[in-house]
Amino acid sequence: MDELAAHLCDVAKRHGVDFADVRVVQRDGESVLVQDGRADKLATSADRGVGVRVLVGKAWGFASADSLQRDRGEQCVDDAIALAKASEAVVTDPARMAAAEPVETESRSDPDVMPGEMPIKEKIDRLLEYERAGRGAADNGHQIVNSIVSYAEAWHQETLANTAGTRIQSSGSRAVVTTLFVATDGSILQRGTEHRGIVGGAELLRQTDPDAFSVRAARKALAALDAKPAPAGRFTVVFHPSITGLLVHEALGHNAEGDAVWAGESILEGRLGDTIASPAVSVYDDSTLPGRFGSFAYDSEGTPGRRRPIIEEGRLVAFLHSLETAAKFDTEPTGSARAESYDCRPIVRMSNTFLEPAGADSGVPLAEMFRGVERGIYLEDGHWGYVFVQKGQFICHAGQAHMIEHGEVGEPLRDVSISSLTLDTLQNIDAVGDDFEMEMPGMCGKEGQSAPIDCGGPHVRVQDVVVGGQHTL
Amino acid sequence: MTVDETFYLDLAQQCVQRAVAAGAEWCDVQAGTARDITVTIEKTGIKNADAGRGEAIAIRAYVGGGMGYASVTGRERPTIDDAVDRAVALAKEATPDPDFRRLPDPQPQAEVEGIFDDAVAGLRVEQVVRMAVANIEAARALEPDVNLSGSVSLAVGHGALASSTGVALTQRTTDISASLAALLRCNGDTGYFYEFDFGRNLADCSLEDVSVGAVEGARRFLGARRIGSGRRTLVLGPLAAYGFLGQLLASASAESVQRGRSFLCGKEGEAIADVCLTVVDDGLVPRGLRSGAHDGEGTARRPLTVIEEGRLVSLLHNSYTAGKAGTESTGHGTHAGGIGPTNLRPLLGTRAAADLLAEVDDGIYLESGEIRPDPASGDISASIDFGFLIENGERVHPVESAMLGGNVFDLLERLDAVSSDAREEPGILMPTLRIHDVQIAGSE
Repeated sequence: MDELAAHLCDVAKRHGVDFADVRVVQRDGESVLVQDGRADKLATSADRGVGVRVLVGKAWGFASADSLQRDRGEQCVDDAIALAKASEAVVTDPARMAAAEPVETESRSDPDVMPGEMPIKEKIDRLLEYERAGRGAADNGHQIVNSIVSYAEAWHQETLANTAGTRIQSSGSRAVVTTLFVATDGSILQRGTEHRGIVGGAELLRQTDPDAFSVRAARKALAALDAKPAPAGRFTVVFHPSITGLLVHEALGHNAEGDAVWAGESILEGRLGDTIASPAVSVYDDSTLPGRFGSFAYDSEGTPGRRRPIIEEGRLVAFLHSLETAAKFDTEPTGSARAESYDCRPIVRMSNTFLEPAGADSGVPLAEMFRGVERGIYLEDGHWGYVFVQKGQFICHAGQAHMIEHGEVGEPLRDVSISSLTLDTLQNIDAVGDDFEMEMPGMCGKEGQSAPIDCGGPHVRVQDVVVGGQHTL
Repeated sequence: MTVDETFYLDLAQQCVQRAVAAGAEWCDVQAGTARDITVTIEKTGIKNADAGRGEAIAIRAYVGGGMGYASVTGRERPTIDDAVDRAVALAKEATPDPDFRRLPDPQPQAEVEGIFDDAVAGLRVEQVVRMAVANIEAARALEPDVNLSGSVSLAVGHGALASSTGVALTQRTTDISASLAALLRCNGDTGYFYEFDFGRNLADCSLEDVSVGAVEGARRFLGARRIGSGRRTLVLGPLAAYGFLGQLLASASAESVQRGRSFLCGKEGEAIADVCLTVVDDGLVPRGLRSGAHDGEGTARRPLTVIEEGRLVSLLHNSYTAGKAGTESTGHGTHAGGIGPTNLRPLLGTRAAADLLAEVDDGIYLESGEIRPDPASGDISASIDFGFLIENGERVHPVESAMLGGNVFDLLERLDAVSSDAREEPGILMPTLRIHDVQIAGSE
């Protein structure tokens, strides 16, 4: 792999390109799906290939092939150059690259349990144990009608080489375990889910306790049977850390990606240095957190990962950058260029994004957040979200919620989404907790690529949030 | 059959033989190649030109009804052989499944016209770049200050499917797509809209429509205002209606119903919507975006009425769920073992969309956006991302920070009209739907 990457860089150089990088990737995966008491589907995958990106004049070309053969790689170089030349005459925003220091290193991130070390039988047995434990949570009158527990691990080896002299060999793995329980009281169905993900391997199955995982998911499904639909309208909302995570990832983080800002799509264009949030709000993106699902040592362009401030005490201090957007903004790259695999270009992405908890002296305890709220909603169990960066409008979906009435947590609510405008919401945060949780490992989609990320923060309280409920109070 | 198709069919059959020799009781193998070109538009200019070539093989093996699955890219034979052996080994580790009956037998296949176009397959990157530039120029001619992003892309695929029951099929497809997102900012106001056109044939992809649609959409969404909460009539424009009905069709998966996790459990044969709704899934429509002679398991496709005058009359089956239910597969199986719909074809109503809208005194027109019911409960809590307030039969202004809520059955029951006119994408019909008395959450 290393020799192929270096060779293709040399070929590109001989063709006189202004810049080229080559990523040679080998990725192997294994997954187990247990459903309704059976190991239902066992799967394995093997994917290897090469991606070549070239800069010719002011235009980019990118070509990939699913082969590690030298001739296929050389064809990619030719194709990438032809693609760049085909568009060079019509490019209006010339491509540029920040001058990055060449890096020559090996970056290994071995899991505690190496691929193949844990027999598949042991994985199946562990998933069946999770499932049995979850099903055991069913109480009188309520029944679990469907349960799914799945585990997937992916091991990758990658060599990155570029014409500036960078040579990085990296390897590592990620593992994910998820569960879904569907419960019924005979008239309605409700779901409960949990998921865990790490940079690591099958040790995840040894670390994950059934009570905190499958039993918790089953209890969510069972509890939702007694929950009522949420009300509709504008409310004071207390966000659980999982919702805070969705807020900073979706509403803020995507708007802080340098490519969106440069393209004039982000609502944060031209706002650097401005106060855009409540002074209690500081937000960071950090790919150096050990074991976190969004962590990495080097990004897909060879820039080291780092802790990246986005908002500090309410002020927008920086965007996330690739080599290209850093050059265009005349600033430093932040190690935020990530490519899903060899067949994708690196684009600007987040890693682990979180709202910093307030200090012990200024943090608001959870009970305090409810106090003074005459009628509001406590939103828990963040599921998913999306954003239109162009409009600064986002949506977050929660699996669970509770009413807040007269300063106290009240009756349970089910399955509710909120929507608001990013800048309004950041300004309307009037309480930040001193607690912290980041347990939202997942895959973030952008331009057809998926990237592993995590997000979280403390509890926060936000005024004037629109809740998509089923009735008015 | 092309040289590629012959090669992949031969390869797939060899893999099946190897799997059976290794102990697979049933096996099917999908093999094929694909290439694609994508030209990306950003900041109203050409950003990138990308191309990819790939080959993939997927092996599904069964032992005692337990399934092992292996996928591999490339054509190196030792890697492929290893994948076959691993699929069989995994099938032996899987729990035996008495509900598994058999994989589909060979069966007559209809010929579906227009899913491969030499004109698309023959496009060179320079031509795709010119198409993207033409898209930009057409949009800028309408609105010089517009900020555009999007892409023009094509994909060409040749594939084969072989199984231990004797299925031996080949298929080739082309796809072309153009998309454009237009962003207008003026005096602190933002107008944004996304338009697209897809086709299997070059002639079915209209660049001009994409440019005009995106720019005019962005203009329409300038001047958004907040609204109050209340119950209103909801009019789903063609794109929003397609999103809603598409989710409903996907929910008709027999697997989800048999497993007891779908809001459609126990609803087969029952009225789930107003009688004005009839939904057909048809994977055989000539030139259709989701058309093909067979599904991912080799079952011949056929038109299937899923909802007839409001009644849920059929579920979507693959070979596994059909065997379990003692019925025939409807041709909606995926090779990985799932179930998926094809071309959505709602039966059109008798009155034009404009007439349906003209009768609404107080409502919301949702032009585009997802209304995604919870798969189990059917509860809906969705953002009105691209919506207008309707007053006295007119769309008066776009709305911001508004949501809608309810349950899927409430919305289906309150559906009171399907329009007689529809947006058409190849194979797919998208009429306008009108639903009365829907909870809207506003921020005013």
